[in-house]
Amino acid sequence: MTTRLLMATVLFCAIGAAGTIWPSIDRYTATTVLAQQPAPVDEFVPIDQLPPQDQLPAAPLLVTAYAFVVLMLFAYVVSLAKRLGGVQRDLERLQSELKHTGRS
Amino acid sequence: MPKWFVPLAVVCAVMFAVSPVLIANAPYESTMGLVQKIFYVHLPSAWVFLLGAIVCGIASARFLFKGDPRQDRLAWAAAELVVVFGIITLVTGPLWARKAWGVWWQWDVRLTSSLMGWMVSVAYLLLRQFGGPGSEKLAAGLALFGMANVPFIYISVNYWRTIHPTTSVVPTLPTSFGLPLWFSAIAFLLLFVLLLRMRVRLEEQRATLDTLYLSADA
Repeated sequence: MTTRLLMATVLFCAIGAAGTIWPSIDRYTATTVLAQQPAPVDEFVPIDQLPPQDQLPAAPLLVTAYAFVVLMLFAYVVSLAKRLGGVQRDLERLQSELKHTGRS
Repeated sequence: MPKWFVPLAVVCAVMFAVSPVLIANAPYESTMGLVQKIFYVHLPSAWVFLLGAIVCGIASARFLFKGDPRQDRLAWAAAELVVVFGIITLVTGPLWARKAWGVWWQWDVRLTSSLMGWMVSVAYLLLRQFGGPGSEKLAAGLALFGMANVPFIYISVNYWRTIHPTTSVVPTLPTSFGLPLWFSAIAFLLLFVLLLRMRVRLEEQRATLDTLYLSADA
């Protein structure tokens, strides 16, 4: 019985203390968090007026895209020309072999 | 090679030389700025990618129903070009999206269906390369699915919620944006025709070589 009474008293004091301290903790937290956030934006900001840290440079993306297109097409044309050349050589070799052996 | 090949190659080369000048002189789009200029290669390559899938599908259907080996060669050539122009589309798109949307990729319907279309063509090529005898008919069936995906890719942006621009953008473009786009599109189309002819020629030569090997063995 005494133990239960003691526990209830401790719990009551703890709740009371928390109720007293909580608003100040809450106020402190809210103030700190708000202070750390950037000022709210209430209208549209054009992309070129954004602060530098928020801007992503377009030129590297554009250069990469065009370079990729050129390299990809060039590589494919070279690969196709090589394959065509290889088959053409094989054809000529085989045709001359067949001619030498008297078959056509 | 046919007579038209060299003159067309010259015209195509001139167009690819002039195209960057037109693109550089095109005005900046008001919200995206410089990065929007990726549009002039992204969209033509995407169109050619879809065109290649249609050519591959039609040629495959003709091969399946008529058994014409020339159609099979055309389908194989077109499938390879679908992979080439598809990868250009799928690489230039994310480079543009990174700046315009803030992300490299979105699993939205246009992007996902385009990736699927590209993967079908990769599967077609793998099947032709490693599938062994009889794989040409399996691959032709696969190409039909690749072709069936094309209208879905095209109209998907009009029916599903997406951040990708809809199909109504191009018809409403002002001349200053439209001229470099259509010029670039024609250059890509000519390149597609030329590469397709070269690739078909490769398959024709291979077929001749096979016939010669068979006659040499006989």
